[in-house]
Amino acid sequence: MLFNSYEFIFAFWPAALAVFFVVGAISRSWALGWIIVASLCFYAYWRPFNVLIIVPALLINFSVAKSLQKLAPLKKRNWSRAVLITGIAFNVGFLGYFKYANFAATVAHDLFGRQLVLTEIILPLGISFITFQMIAFLIDVHGGRIESFSLRDFILFALFFPQLIAGPIVHYREMMPQFHRADCRFDTENVSVGLTLFAFGLFKKVVLADGIAPLISPIYQQAAHGSPVSLVTAWMAAVGFTMQIYFDFSGYTDMALGIARCFGIRLPQNFYSPLRASNIIDFWLRWHITLTRFLTAYIYNPLALWLTRRRLAQRKPIYGGRKSTLGAYLELLAFPTVFTMFLSGLWHGAGYTFLVWGLLHGVYLTINHGWRQIGPRLWPDKESYARFMRPAGLALTFVCVAVSMIIFRATTMGSAINLIGGMAGFNGVALPTTIVDHLGPLSGWLRGVGVAGGLEPGVDANKLALWIPGLTIIALTFPNTLQVLARYEPALGIKAPADESRIGARAIAWSATPAWAIILSVIAAVGVFHLGGESEFLYWQF
Amino acid sequence: MTEQDILDLFTRILRDLLGDDSIVLTMDTRRDDVDNWDSFTYVNFIAVAEMELDVKFSVTDVESFENVGAIVRKAQALLA
Repeated sequence: MLFNSYEFIFAFWPAALAVFFVVGAISRSWALGWIIVASLCFYAYWRPFNVLIIVPALLINFSVAKSLQKLAPLKKRNWSRAVLITGIAFNVGFLGYFKYANFAATVAHDLFGRQLVLTEIILPLGISFITFQMIAFLIDVHGGRIESFSLRDFILFALFFPQLIAGPIVHYREMMPQFHRADCRFDTENVSVGLTLFAFGLFKKVVLADGIAPLISPIYQQAAHGSPVSLVTAWMAAVGFTMQIYFDFSGYTDMALGIARCFGIRLPQNFYSPLRASNIIDFWLRWHITLTRFLTAYIYNPLALWLTRRRLAQRKPIYGGRKSTLGAYLELLAFPTVFTMFLSGLWHGAGYTFLVWGLLHGVYLTINHGWRQIGPRLWPDKESYARFMRPAGLALTFVCVAVSMIIFRATTMGSAINLIGGMAGFNGVALPTTIVDHLGPLSGWLRGVGVAGGLEPGVDANKLALWIPGLTIIALTFPNTLQVLARYEPALGIKAPADESRIGARAIAWSATPAWAIILSVIAAVGVFHLGGESEFLYWQF
Repeated sequence: MTEQDILDLFTRILRDLLGDDSIVLTMDTRRDDVDNWDSFTYVNFIAVAEMELDVKFSVTDVESFENVGAIVRKAQALLA
C-alpha cells in the first residue's frame, strides 16, 4: 500500500489513527500495540507472505540483541564482538540472498560465462531499510547505547509503518524515547502539522514528480533501444530525472514525516534542499540524510579511523593541513570514501548502473575533499574564494548530480553512456522545430553548422520546456517543507528558529490561519485529484 | 591534564589539519561551527588527538560526540 493511494489516504490511515486515539484514551500500552498490528497489516497488504519472511528475521535480531545485552556486564568483549559479527553477518546474508543473489548470478555469468540457475526471488519491500536499521540497532546495543528494550518496543521500532518501506532510516535511541513519552491521544498541533506535511509531500510526489515522469521516460526508453540521444534531449533527460527523483523521494519522505507526526512521533529529517548545495560534500549532507548518517557512522568512520591510526602508528604523514602527501590522500581519503560510496551504490540497487553511480559519487567526494586543501590557496583571501565558489560550486554540483542521475535511471550502462555522450554533444545537436523555424536567417546558419530541426520522436519539447525550468526554480529558490514548518519542529534535527524577525522567515512560516487553510486545501485537493494516475514507485528495489 | 590544556591541544590539532590559524575551540563548539570540519577531517582529528594523548576512543564514542566538550570530557576520563 503506497501513501499516495486512495486505500491508504481514505481507509487505512484514518482507521489506524482513529483506533489509535480511541485505544490511547484507555491504555497507552494498547495504543502502541495497535501501531504494531496496523504496521503488520500495512506490510502484508502488498504481499502477505513477506510478513512470514520479515518477522522471523526480526525475532532473530532480537535474540542476538538480547545476547549482546547479557554479555555486556560480563565484560567478555571477544564473545560480545563475535555475537555482534554473527548478527551483522546474518543481516548482510539476509539482504544478500533476497536482493543480490540474482545480480551475483549475472556477474558470475558475465565474468566466467557460467549460467547459474536461480529460482525467482521476490524482494520483500523495504528490506534494505529494515536491514540497515537492524545492523545499527545491534551495534548500538553492543556499544552500550541501548541498555534496555522489550520485544514490543523492538518490534514497534522495526515495523513503525510510516518509515517502514522507504525510510527515513531511524535509530532506536531516537525513536523509543518518543514512543515512551507519547500520550497517544488526539493532539491538534500534531495532527495539523502532520496533515500539512502530508499535503506538501503528496503534492510533490503525485503532481510534480509524477507530472514530469512520463515526459522523461520516452528519452530513457530510446536510449535503452540504442538510438543516439542528441545534446538538448540528453540534458533534458538528466535535469528532468534529477527533478523527478528529488520531488518523488523528498515528497514521499514528507508524507512519512506527516503520517508519523499525527501519531505524535517526529522522524529525522531526510532532505534539506539538496540541489542548492554548493559542493558535493554538502549535497550528501542534504540528500537522503539518514542514509549518509548511517554510512558515515557504521562504514566510513570505522574504516577511516582504522586506516588513520595504522598510518600514524607507522609514523607516516596523514592527509590534512600543510603536510599532506599523495599517499595519504589515496589511502586515507580516496579509498574509504570510494569504498563507502560503492556500498551505497550497491545498497540502492542490485545492478551495474548502481555500482557505477556509487563509485562516481565516491570519486566526486574524493575530488571535493582534495579541492578543499588546494582550492583556497589559489585565491588571495577567503572572501574572494567564497565569492567565486558559491555560484561556480552550485552549478558544478548540479551538473555532477544530474550526470550521475542519468546512470541511476538508465537501465543499462550502454544507455547511460549513450545519454552522457549526448550531453557532451557526441550525438549531434538538435533543437525543437518550433525554435529553429522562428529564428529567421539564424535557422539557416544553424542548419548549415549541423544543428537539426526537431527533437527525437516522442519527446514533448513544449511541455518539457515548461516543466524543467518550473521544477528547477522550485527546487532552487522555494523554501522547503521543513523551513515552512520550522516553528513546529517538523523533524528531528529541525529546531524552531530562535529569531523570526527576518521578514522572509515570517512570511513563509506556516501557522493555523485561514490563509494557510485555503492554500493547503488547494494543495491537498490537487494532490488527491491526481491520485490513481500513472505513478512510478522508485524505491521498490532499495 | 586540565580541560583547558586539552582544549588548547585540540585547537592546535584542528588548526594544523585545516590550515586555519583563526580557529579557536571551546567546550561548546560543534563541527558545524567550523568551516570544512567534515567527516574526513573529524576522523583525522580523532586519530591525531588519540596519538597526542595516548588514549583510544571507541568507535561508538567517535560517532556520538556532540561537541568538543564531549570529546574533552571523554579524553579526561580515559586519562584518569
